Amino acid sequence: MMVQKKRFSPRNYLEENPQVKRILRFAVFLAIIIVGYLAVIWAIDIYTLEGVIIKASKATVNGLALSMLLFLMVSGFYLIFGLCDVINFAHGSFFMLGGFLGFIIYLGTEAVFLDPALPFHLIFGGNQYVMSIMAFIVSALGAFAIMALIGGGIEFFTIRRLYGNSIAQILLTVGFMYIIAQAAVVIWGPSQFSYFITPGSTSQLDTFFMGGVLVFGDIVFKTYNIFLIFLGFAFAGLMFLGFKRTRIGLQIQAGIEDSEMVEALGTDIRKLFTIVFMLGAGLAGLSGAILVPVIGANSGHGLTYLIYAFVIVVIGGAHYGRFEGTFFGALVVGLSIQFSSYFIPFLENIIVFIIMVIILIVKPGGLTGHE
Amino acid sequence: MKNLLEIQNAHVYIGSFYILQGISLVVPEGEVTVLLGRNGAGKTTTMKAILGINPPREGKIVFNGEEISNLPTHKIVNKGIGYVPDTRRIFSTLTVEQNLIVSRRKETSRDVMQARLELIFDLFPDMRRFMKQRAGTLSGGQQQMLAVARALVNDNDLLLIDEPTEGLSPLLAKNLIASLDRLKEYATILLVEQNFRTVSKLGDNYYIFDSGKIVHEGKNMSELISSKALVAQYLGVSI
Repeated sequence: MMVQKKRFSPRNYLEENPQVKRILRFAVFLAIIIVGYLAVIWAIDIYTLEGVIIKASKATVNGLALSMLLFLMVSGFYLIFGLCDVINFAHGSFFMLGGFLGFIIYLGTEAVFLDPALPFHLIFGGNQYVMSIMAFIVSALGAFAIMALIGGGIEFFTIRRLYGNSIAQILLTVGFMYIIAQAAVVIWGPSQFSYFITPGSTSQLDTFFMGGVLVFGDIVFKTYNIFLIFLGFAFAGLMFLGFKRTRIGLQIQAGIEDSEMVEALGTDIRKLFTIVFMLGAGLAGLSGAILVPVIGANSGHGLTYLIYAFVIVVIGGAHYGRFEGTFFGALVVGLSIQFSSYFIPFLENIIVFIIMVIILIVKPGGLTGHE
Repeated sequence: MKNLLEIQNAHVYIGSFYILQGISLVVPEGEVTVLLGRNGAGKTTTMKAILGINPPREGKIVFNGEEISNLPTHKIVNKGIGYVPDTRRIFSTLTVEQNLIVSRRKETSRDVMQARLELIFDLFPDMRRFMKQRAGTLSGGQQQMLAVARALVNDNDLLLIDEPTEGLSPLLAKNLIASLDRLKEYATILLVEQNFRTVSKLGDNYYIFDSGKIVHEGKNMSELISSKALVAQYLGVSI
C-alpha cells in the first residue's frame, strides 16, 4: 500500500498535534515577554530603539543559526536514545571528533582541488571559491560517513551486548566519551587550542563563505549564519518527511514507542538499532564539521555539547518520544543563549539551565511531552 | 490433519523466574486452539516463547515442520506468524494507516497487502473511516480492531491472539469473536482467553494452564463448561 499523499494543512496538523499547538501558544507568550522586556529597556533608555532593534535582529539570526546546529547534533542523540534506549554519553565526543575530521578532510581536499598538478581544478574551471565550497561539502559528508562507521562499530561490537542493562550502557558510553576526548587531547592538544579554517591558510572559505556578510541598513548578518538557518530548516523538513512518509521512518517512530512489538511484527530490530546508531553518530559528526568555521575544532567541545544535548531533550520533551521536541528544544536553547548574550550577558552561560529547571517544575514532560 | 505448531516439553524462564514448567501442546492446521487459565498461569508466556521473545531453555518448538526455538523473533514471525498482543500495543503516535504500513513485511507485496486490506475492511468496516486518525485517539474497541488488523496485513499461516476481548464491553467482545470466527478460513488460530464462555463456540481444542503447567486438555469446549469441577478448580475467576 502506498502512503497516500495527503495535502499538508497547518490547521489540520495543529488539530492533530495539540502539543505543537501548545508550544506555539507558549512561543507567542515568550515572544510577548521578550518584546515587553525590550520595550522596558528601551523605555528606561539603556539602549536606543535603533540599538535594540539591531541587537534583537542579530540575536534572532545568530540564535536561529545556533539552534539549527544544535538541532542537527541533538537529533542524532534523540534517535539513539529514543529507539535504542541508550543514553549515549559519547555523543558530544562524536560531535567533537566530527569537527576535527571535518577540519582535516577540508584542508586535505582543498589542497588536492587546488593542486595545479592534479586535474581537479579543471573540473571547477580553476575557480578557487567553488573549490573551497566543494571541499567544505566533502569535509561535512566525510565527517558524517566516518562517524557513522565509528558509531556503527561501537554499537555492533560493544553496546549490542548490553541492551537492557542501562547502567552498563551508561558506564560504557562514559568510557568512550573519555577515551575519545583524551585521544583528541593527545593528538590535537588541550581545549586551549582551537583549529579554525582561517584566511592565511590555503583556504578561501573564510573570506568568501564564513567571513562573508549580508548588510541590511545598519544591520550586518554573517552569511554563514543565514546558511545554517536554511540548512537546519531544510534538514528538519527532511527528517519530518522521512519520519512520516518512509517505511523505515515509520519503523523508527514505532520502535521508539515499542521496539519489542516492532520486532514481533517481523522487523529485524537489531539491524534497525545499528542503522539508527550509525545515523545518530553520523549526524553528530556532520554537525561538528559544519560548525568548524564558527567555533573551530576543539578537544573540549565534547562535554559542553553533550550537556546542551541533555538540556534540549529535556526542554523539548523528546524523552517522551516526540521528534518535534528536539526541534523546539533546540530553538529555545539557541535563541535564549543568543538573546541573553546581547541583553543580559551575565546570564548567558546559565540561562538554558534556568529555563530547564522552570520547565521541569512546571511541565516535567517538556514542551511536547505528556502532561 | 497436520499439526501446524508443536511445543515439546518447553521450559521457559523470565529472568530467574521459572514460568513454563515443561509444557507440550499441538495446534492442528485450520483449527482454533484455545489456551485457558487464570492470570499468571503461563498463557501469555507461551505466546512469547513461540515468538522467541522468551525462548525456551529446554524443549522444542516446531512450526510447519521446522524447529524455530532458537531463532530470533523477526525470523520466526517472517515464517508466517501474526501476533495480536494482550494489551493491544498499537503505535499510538502513528495513524491507523501508518500502523498497518509498519506491519507489512518485506516479502508481502503491495498487491497482497491491498487484498488483505479489503479483508480487514470486510471484517471491520469501521476501520475505513479512521485510517487517517492517530491510533492513540481511538476507543478501546477500535484499538483492538487495529491490533487484529495488524496481524492480518501479511499472509500468515498462524495467528497468535492474546486476550482479544480484554477490556471490551460484552457487545464489542461478541462482535470481535464473530470476526475471529470468520478468520478461521484464512489462518490457524492460537487464542488465549480468560473468559472461556465467550470463546466456547469458537474453539476446536483447548488447553488449561495452571502454575506453568498444562493440567487439562480437550476438544469439546461445551463439555468443559458443563464440568463444574474443572471450572471451579482452574478457571474459577472467569465465571
